[in-house]
Amino acid sequence: MKIAVDQELCSGHGRCYSLAPGVFSPDDDGFCAEAGTEFVVPEELVKQAQLGVGSCPEGAIREIGT
Amino acid sequence: MQWKDTVDTTGNAERFGRDMFNDFDIDDPKFNDNFYDVLDDMVARCPVAHSTVGTGYHLINNYEDVRKAGQDWRTFSSAKGFQPNRGEGIPYLYPEESDPPYHTNWRRALNPFFAPENVNAMEESIRADANDLIDAFIADGKCEFVGQFASELPGRAFFKNLIGVPVEDLPMLLQAMDRHIYGPVAERGEQLGIALAYLGNYLKERSEQPSTGDLIDTIAAGVERDGETCPWEDRVSILTDLTLGGIATTTFVMSGAMLHLATHPEDRLTLAKDPSKIPNAVEEFVRYFPPVVALGRSVTKDVELGGYEFKKDDFVLLNYASASRDPKALDDPQRLDINRDKILHTAFGVGPHRCIGSHLARLELRVVLEELLRRIPDFSVEPGTTQEYETGVLRTMKSLHLVFGDQGDAS
Repeated sequence: MKIAVDQELCSGHGRCYSLAPGVFSPDDDGFCAEAGTEFVVPEELVKQAQLGVGSCPEGAIREIGT
Repeated sequence: MQWKDTVDTTGNAERFGRDMFNDFDIDDPKFNDNFYDVLDDMVARCPVAHSTVGTGYHLINNYEDVRKAGQDWRTFSSAKGFQPNRGEGIPYLYPEESDPPYHTNWRRALNPFFAPENVNAMEESIRADANDLIDAFIADGKCEFVGQFASELPGRAFFKNLIGVPVEDLPMLLQAMDRHIYGPVAERGEQLGIALAYLGNYLKERSEQPSTGDLIDTIAAGVERDGETCPWEDRVSILTDLTLGGIATTTFVMSGAMLHLATHPEDRLTLAKDPSKIPNAVEEFVRYFPPVVALGRSVTKDVELGGYEFKKDDFVLLNYASASRDPKALDDPQRLDINRDKILHTAFGVGPHRCIGSHLARLELRVVLEELLRRIPDFSVEPGTTQEYETGVLRTMKSLHLVFGDQGDAS
């Protein structure tokens, strides 16, 4: 699973790193530290990541590949 | 009017005593009394509702449309305020009633104080206050939860941990904020003035002392606006807006959560036995009991959204409360399910104006429920009592009578 976090859309709700702490982390402002990047999620964290993706109120996290 | 043809209003006016799609009034007690039914009817068949009150306004009701408008701050501007029919001359509340780049300057300065890392350090202080408040009524075997707990705790947490204002001044500020939001439209400016004057004096005093780099000092130092340091009044406005959000909103979620747990013993038992389930329940309570019903935007150019052609200078309310109950975004949204695994909602807003205190609110709610359930695992609504609510752009519960042990009425 490959995902992209949109820097413009992330507004610091913090749902991603609360629900998927193995995949996302907060920066000093409480925004997603991975915003503005694309990365591959390790197989064992895919389920967690999906919960984070689906719970972002901004729709800022997208699955962009496998 | 153009919208009359686009929305099926059958039965709406008969059911609610007012046509909530074409003649909406957010301050009408009929909306307060039929809150969830109106929201659910809107989200089911009225993507854009309309009001003829004052100069008129519109409501955007579906999740996707609320999200689009919230994120598109260039088209849906906050610079003309969040209340419909806002009185002339009322100072704007920043950062809420501003757009980027000024909004961004303030949020960059303020966000770190409200980020999880900083907020989590307040946990023990909040826990101690929760216990102090419980101590005051636990021996009575009952309480009026809103007055004795839910209206007190958020203010204490905010005053003690963030702004340093004396807790004794909380009732005065709560009253001014309450009247600013729910009081007669003509008196709202004056009530806000009371809070602005008090907080302005406090900020002035603090600005004359050496800076410690805390939140107050950061506000007093100001940020850049149009190439210069922003005016002093803007800094007072910042402190006032933060205070309004800090003391006048979480109360409703807290009260709603306790009402739910008082009337759903199985959920109460689940959370009392396994507090690790509380954070998920908190998110669901936030979704289900939205303290912020709807906040306004001014349309900056003609635009189509939700099947409606908005015109430049239209005023629209982003109906966060209905968007959080949109079946297109969330399965079975009318059900409060503390075990829900995907909780999508707009209770903290959406876009750059996302509630700055959201992490603090979640912490308060988690700690409060942990302590209440630990010390009072069994409670119910006092027989013969009912809950009173008040609704405008915000919503709150005015009273919730609880009894402890098995003496109450679980219905």
